[in-house]
Amino acid sequence: MSLGQRPRPEADRDSAPWWAAVRRHELIVQRCEDCGTLRFPARAICNRCRCRSYEWVPVQGRAKVYSWIVNHQVFMRSMADEVPFPVLLVRLDEGDDLLMYGNLVDGDAEDLRPGLPVEAVFVDVDDETTVVHWRPC
Amino acid sequence: MGSFRDRTAIAGVGYTPFSKDSGVSTLTLAVDAILAALEDAGLAVDEVDGLATHRVGDSTPPWVVAPALGVPEVSWYLDQFGGGSVSHSVIGQAAMAVAAGVAETVVCYRAINARSEFRMGGTGRAPAPIFDMQYQAPYGYFAPPQQFAMFARAHMNAYGTTHEQFGQIAVQQRANAVKNARALKRDPITLDDYLASRWIAEPLRMLDCCLETDGACAVVVTSRERARDLRRTPVLVSGAVWGGGDSFFSGAGSAAYGTDFTVTEAARMAPRLYAMAGVGPGDIDVAELYDCFTYSVLVQLEDYGFCEKGEGGPFVESGATALDGTLPVNTHGGFLSEGYVHGINHIAEAVAQLRGDAGDRQVDGAEVALSTAQPGYVLAGTSALILRSDT
Repeated sequence: MSLGQRPRPEADRDSAPWWAAVRRHELIVQRCEDCGTLRFPARAICNRCRCRSYEWVPVQGRAKVYSWIVNHQVFMRSMADEVPFPVLLVRLDEGDDLLMYGNLVDGDAEDLRPGLPVEAVFVDVDDETTVVHWRPC
Repeated sequence: MGSFRDRTAIAGVGYTPFSKDSGVSTLTLAVDAILAALEDAGLAVDEVDGLATHRVGDSTPPWVVAPALGVPEVSWYLDQFGGGSVSHSVIGQAAMAVAAGVAETVVCYRAINARSEFRMGGTGRAPAPIFDMQYQAPYGYFAPPQQFAMFARAHMNAYGTTHEQFGQIAVQQRANAVKNARALKRDPITLDDYLASRWIAEPLRMLDCCLETDGACAVVVTSRERARDLRRTPVLVSGAVWGGGDSFFSGAGSAAYGTDFTVTEAARMAPRLYAMAGVGPGDIDVAELYDCFTYSVLVQLEDYGFCEKGEGGPFVESGATALDGTLPVNTHGGFLSEGYVHGINHIAEAVAQLRGDAGDRQVDGAEVALSTAQPGYVLAGTSALILRSDT
């Protein structure tokens, strides 16, 4: 398993709190303090009402599969021992416009279908980085 | 907007050979393609006063090309950041500069050693630090074939689109490339060949992917009046639009279209394009649709209005997009079979069809052509041209 050689997330000033929460094994999104819209990925301004005030709120970590691929090509040599591997695109139960990516754990790519319920799984890559994967539930 | 219609023209096109290893610098490719385009137009270097290109990965900018060519004075230039999605906006912006009187003769070009030097496919390349990437790259997801595979799967999920329908696009385009001496891939393929080709990122196979290519192509843009005095029959720029802005990461950016990944920016932009050119989908004789992958052709057939949403697969299977169909698509073989110069070789092929010099692959009576950029996946935004023969 070459998880340790994968690209690390390059957090920006908006997303740093999100990655810090993932490090604590917490899944959060932003909630606009004016109109209440939940948003992800992390940005400092609400694109519905342009309000700059927001709070980070927890989500359940449950989602439905929207689309997926099974990657076969070795696009990075450090991942050569992992192919083929699935990548999922899921919609959080809290909103269709809350989309997240991740790999499949404890599941078979053959069983993937649109709408399949999944839950977030936190995987510690090393002493600094944690990523979110998805497990059928 | 209407005043921009047909005021400018493409007066010449030029190519270098396409290959897997050009053996020359990217600058040399650019210079060779530009000189070929000027020769085609019957223009000299000292009549050029504008240069325009775009860049992601390998490229060479106007301020390197101008002194290399000895252009005496550049009065307008463009080095547009962006990949396939902006490819057609380069010609559009050049046409706008000419229409505004800022420049008289602009050569648009794209030169890349995308196989022998900087590979577009990403092997060995670190992922670009783009906003969305931090949420994707840690999962081994960053290469264009993966991204388009994700959208292709979404389309299959929503509309029952099949592998065979993607395959038909590859087969039809290869049949066109057989008739194109410039094409890198000229051996005919069958649907069985397609289905036997190896997975890259399911649901996309090797034969769904364009060809990483070394090569360059250039297009000369000038005023309609000046073009009429030159060597070749002018091809008028009837419509040139670009735009966008939504991220396909999150529907939080997609106020107009929600979070349906099966609808691209092209669907929103197409009405502006047709209005500017004063034509509709039924008037298009030839369509050169950005084919980084087969799926991008299928979704654009829907989003440019040639069939209903979700009907792209059956439309392709009907044979409509073949060379002898009602809407011949990617008549040169496209990026899948001719070669991939990041968009501009679609425009050059449209010019060839409208000038009637496409040889064995000529579409009879072609008068109006659509040529499009990457439809807005990955980096938001797209661009397209409607060209017509000056009759």
